[in-house]
Amino acid sequence: MARQEDAPPPAAAADAAAGGRRGRRGGREGLNPPSWLAGGFLLPALLLLGFLVVYPIVYSVVRSFFDASGDFNGLDNYTGVFKGHDNLVAVRNTAVWVVVAPTIVTIIGLLFAVLTERIRWATAFKLVVFMPMAISFLASGVIFRLVYEQDPDKGVANAAVVAVHDTFAGKTAYPGAGPRAGQDQPVRAEGSGDGVPVVTTKPVEAGGSALLPLLRVKPEYLPDKPVPARTAPAAKPGQITGTVWFDFTKGGGGTPNAVDPTESGLPGVTVQALRGGKVVASTETRADGTFTLAEVPPGSYTLRLPKDNFTAAYGGAEWLGSTLITPAIIGAYLWVWSGFAMVLIAAGLAAIPRDALEAARVDGATEWQVFRRVTIPLLAPVLAVVLVTLVINVLKVFDLVFIIGGGDPNASVLALQMWTKSFGEGDQGTGSAIAVLLFLLVLPAMLFNIRRLRQERK
Amino acid sequence: MRISRRLVAAAAAAGLVASAAAACGGDDGDKGGASGGTELKGVKIEVAAKWTGPEEQNFRKVLAQFEKQTGATVTYASTGEDTDAYLGPRLEAKTPPDVAILPQPGLLQQYAAKGQLKPLADDVVTEVQKNFSPYWKDLGSADGKTYGVLAKAAYKSIIWYRPQALADAGVQPPATWADLVKDAGTLQDAGTTPFALAAASSDSWTLTDWFENVYLSQAGPDLYDKLAGHEIKWTDPSVAKALQTLAQVWGKPDFLAGGLAQATKTKFDGSVTDVFGSNKAAMVYGGDFAAANIATTKAKVGTDAKVFAFPKAGGTAPALLGGDVAVAMKDGKGAMALMKFLASPEAGKTWAGIGGYLSPNKNVPPDSYSDPVAKQLIAQMQAAGDAARYDMSDLAPAAFGGSPGKGEWEALRYFVQHPSDVKGTQQRLEDEAAKAFK
Amino acid sequence: MSTEDSLTKDSAEVPAADGAAGAPRRSVAARVVGRVGGGVAQVVLVLVALFWLVPTLGLFVASLRSNQDNGSSGWWTVFSKPSQLTFSSYSSLLGKGDFVDSFWNTVLITVPATVLVVVIASLAAYAFAWLEFPGRDWLFLVVVALLVVPVQVALVPVAKLYGEIRVGGFHMFGSIVGVVLFHVAFGLPFAIFLLRNFFAAIPRDLLEAARMDGGSEWTIFRRVIFPLGGPAIASLGIFQFLWVWNDLLVSLVFADTGSQPMTKWLQSQMRQFSGNIDILAPGAFISLLVPLVVFFAFQRYFVQGVLAGSVK
Repeated sequence: MARQEDAPPPAAAADAAAGGRRGRRGGREGLNPPSWLAGGFLLPALLLLGFLVVYPIVYSVVRSFFDASGDFNGLDNYTGVFKGHDNLVAVRNTAVWVVVAPTIVTIIGLLFAVLTERIRWATAFKLVVFMPMAISFLASGVIFRLVYEQDPDKGVANAAVVAVHDTFAGKTAYPGAGPRAGQDQPVRAEGSGDGVPVVTTKPVEAGGSALLPLLRVKPEYLPDKPVPARTAPAAKPGQITGTVWFDFTKGGGGTPNAVDPTESGLPGVTVQALRGGKVVASTETRADGTFTLAEVPPGSYTLRLPKDNFTAAYGGAEWLGSTLITPAIIGAYLWVWSGFAMVLIAAGLAAIPRDALEAARVDGATEWQVFRRVTIPLLAPVLAVVLVTLVINVLKVFDLVFIIGGGDPNASVLALQMWTKSFGEGDQGTGSAIAVLLFLLVLPAMLFNIRRLRQERK
Repeated sequence: MRISRRLVAAAAAAGLVASAAAACGGDDGDKGGASGGTELKGVKIEVAAKWTGPEEQNFRKVLAQFEKQTGATVTYASTGEDTDAYLGPRLEAKTPPDVAILPQPGLLQQYAAKGQLKPLADDVVTEVQKNFSPYWKDLGSADGKTYGVLAKAAYKSIIWYRPQALADAGVQPPATWADLVKDAGTLQDAGTTPFALAAASSDSWTLTDWFENVYLSQAGPDLYDKLAGHEIKWTDPSVAKALQTLAQVWGKPDFLAGGLAQATKTKFDGSVTDVFGSNKAAMVYGGDFAAANIATTKAKVGTDAKVFAFPKAGGTAPALLGGDVAVAMKDGKGAMALMKFLASPEAGKTWAGIGGYLSPNKNVPPDSYSDPVAKQLIAQMQAAGDAARYDMSDLAPAAFGGSPGKGEWEALRYFVQHPSDVKGTQQRLEDEAAKAFK
Repeated sequence: MSTEDSLTKDSAEVPAADGAAGAPRRSVAARVVGRVGGGVAQVVLVLVALFWLVPTLGLFVASLRSNQDNGSSGWWTVFSKPSQLTFSSYSSLLGKGDFVDSFWNTVLITVPATVLVVVIASLAAYAFAWLEFPGRDWLFLVVVALLVVPVQVALVPVAKLYGEIRVGGFHMFGSIVGVVLFHVAFGLPFAIFLLRNFFAAIPRDLLEAARMDGGSEWTIFRRVIFPLGGPAIASLGIFQFLWVWNDLLVSLVFADTGSQPMTKWLQSQMRQFSGNIDILAPGAFISLLVPLVVFFAFQRYFVQGVLAGSVK
């Protein structure tokens, strides 16, 4: 959820604050209490801030020039942050986070804010999207570990991806199945690798029959009630018949390349008759694995089971693999923080005077032009505030990466590296250097805050 | 690997052993009452270990017996996945637990070098000498001082399998590597993927275990010790031979559940549930501790999930062990009393009776084990005698043998992805080792 | 969930108006386009809302299934096989002393940290808003500057500092007090900033009147400022409450086994993710239940806090 130190710049600080107090003050100075009293009011806050915030900053800066065992080593800790594979990955990931996450969150927030403007149940929608802000990163991490489970039977992300994929690509009948290895088999794989066609080794004459034994059929792809394979009836002239079956007797012991009584037929396999590389006839196998290719002109043919029968089942994306892990964690971050951007931007939108928009419309601008030329510029300050807040927050992102990444160095970021170095590897020098770097990275935001405050006070 | 950091058989247990445990529990009570000590009344002892879930519950029962005997109050703290990350800040603030149980001897060396451990008192050392082989005692020693008591062993020269899958394919559990490869082929023909391999970068310790088993079997204990100490280089021909052997399994994507892409992403717990939860494969490597993972599926250890000894790939039947070492981090008689208790056969017997446990203590007889699988394993382990070896990667500096995404873990993971590149893999291993063993 | 109900109910209705009233001059065509666009937007938003709800729903359902079921199939299968639902994970989790202790630790950390921030920041904010003293503006700028300081900067030094503080048997490192004070310190800049802006907007006359009546500054603070600051204090309190309740990093470093909150305890159970879903899922759900209740009960203040902290 929102950490209060992330509090965005004091845009508003202000106007309230000032209210021209100064001008009116003069005459009544006498009423004001003595300034030592202020000390009393401020004391607890100043003590805590001094000991637990300001002093540590100074200490960290000093500590960062000493190595793990406390010997002075100049800037080595700092240069070390940019050396070595793991460190560089963390630096790169931090850069990706800082550039990508705030931008996308802001865009999504803008989109939602605009879309909800016209919707009556906007409040309900906003509550739903804003809700994750109340949930801890730890719980969000657990939630998304579940979402990103690799197995499409368990992880909802891959379940969805696979469902969509299968809708468009069609389901494969027998992924992974193929011929028996070795020479002199009745069928062979055409080429090597996953999902290649299977062809007969010897040509088949029209009017003849063929056996096409397959192995490696996974049980989950067999029919629920397998029908024992049968040898195909003899072909009539102008036909080719045959059997496609799973040539493995459960428990072992069958004769290779012969249709044994308990072996099951493979229904739904596409069978093609090829001559000179051209498909002359095509059919599908029946429940017992037999097929009949009709209207085949005399001559000899190669029978082919096209690769569509065998292509590997699609298993979904590797969300937490080395390439997608950072985008996946950023995805979880979007889920948490989009509500924040949406609420701020919606408030900004509501504050835009309707007249300005109407005036533009009257001038004949399209909705898109109104949005680009009028709305966006008027929103610019709000967008800037959202972006700055998010950048500061993203620099410190720790829990999500820690929980979802689960220690994978491919997911690491500086804020996590700081913890790992200081408390995991006992190198507080490097840890302090990373902490100071993070501090330096938020300095522009700090100056931005201060400048705005001063301007608004004037 | 960090076997150790993985569960331990634990749960296996859960069902199988429950009744036996209950019976044992009764016994303990009586014994406790009899010796009914109060010499540590009012003493508070904190123990930190990485165990959670059933492993933690079992360990707590063992601690309860100590409490009963001595009158001390023991609190247990779970360190989470990374023991070092947990202890680091506490050592820094000088408030470590009284006793910590470290998943790797490497950590013991690290803390001992910084002077953060308390050497064992003389009577505890005597107890250790009485009950443990010199090999184990040395593992708990640094610079001539003994710091550690091997509290719990893990046996890693086994492969778990689904009997139904092997029966359907008409094959028997293999005894040699050649049979393993042949059976894998038959399983595949029968439509069952032979192996689930956990080659995710976070769990590539399973790969180091595979390698160590093959290497120990082919090269023998002497070369094994040399490689473990980096006295021979990883470019040695013996390493090449082991890698070529492994490639007979790792190099066939069809042998691995989900193919290569999936295997390099599969975590250890996933690999176990692939075999016993969703029946996606027939066999999986995992020490005795995999029983805890199997307990999360519907399969029953002993009937739906069995083990066979890691097949011989050479002259030696491999016997690879891991273990958790208890160390004292604070002075005080409470800590030492607990260390002595952990070194005693009594603690081992109690724990063995509860289940999910293998004892490195030679005075814990096989009869003490309530769990038939544990009995089988302890027999294998004791049969190996002096040829048994500690997990090589756990002895190496963590940067080489114990870190996800680097060192040996990542080099072997590279090999899974490039099984024909034996030379390149060896070079990577050697480069990483040279960096870590300075 | 009522939100869900209202989502589906409303979504069936035609949008009230295409882009606000006051558009009499727009052509019929534009209106049709607007209306169709509105319809598309409705559909998109319904999908988005579902998208936002599904992950949490998944956690909730997973927490109501056994480990075995979670290990063999997806949570969505409960819709076809509701018999999977069971409270066993919850009852075994709530039977764990560690977890229950960590729940109370979370409360013991969160409540004082929230109250202390509100009290200490109100005092300071009052001083910044209404008392004259040298260097006031300068000091306030420092507080504003501290708004963005990352906690990481303070972890190592404060761990050292806490390690030094021992009084008798009490040790600051690993104590609840240490965790609370750290949260308070890092909560203060935002709290002071927010409250000062709010207090400063209170009409001066009210204060002057009170001062004329001879009220002491303490009385004015208690009788005038504090009550008037209600809404801002509520916003701040909710923010601080959620932040502290949800924190992991601070407790990871400063709490020990006896003082650890739920987040840290759950993190220590993550060693083996899928094997421990029966602990992690119900644990995470319990840990997010309180923040969600707080959020739905006080969401108005929460949103106000977000707005006040940034844009008007």
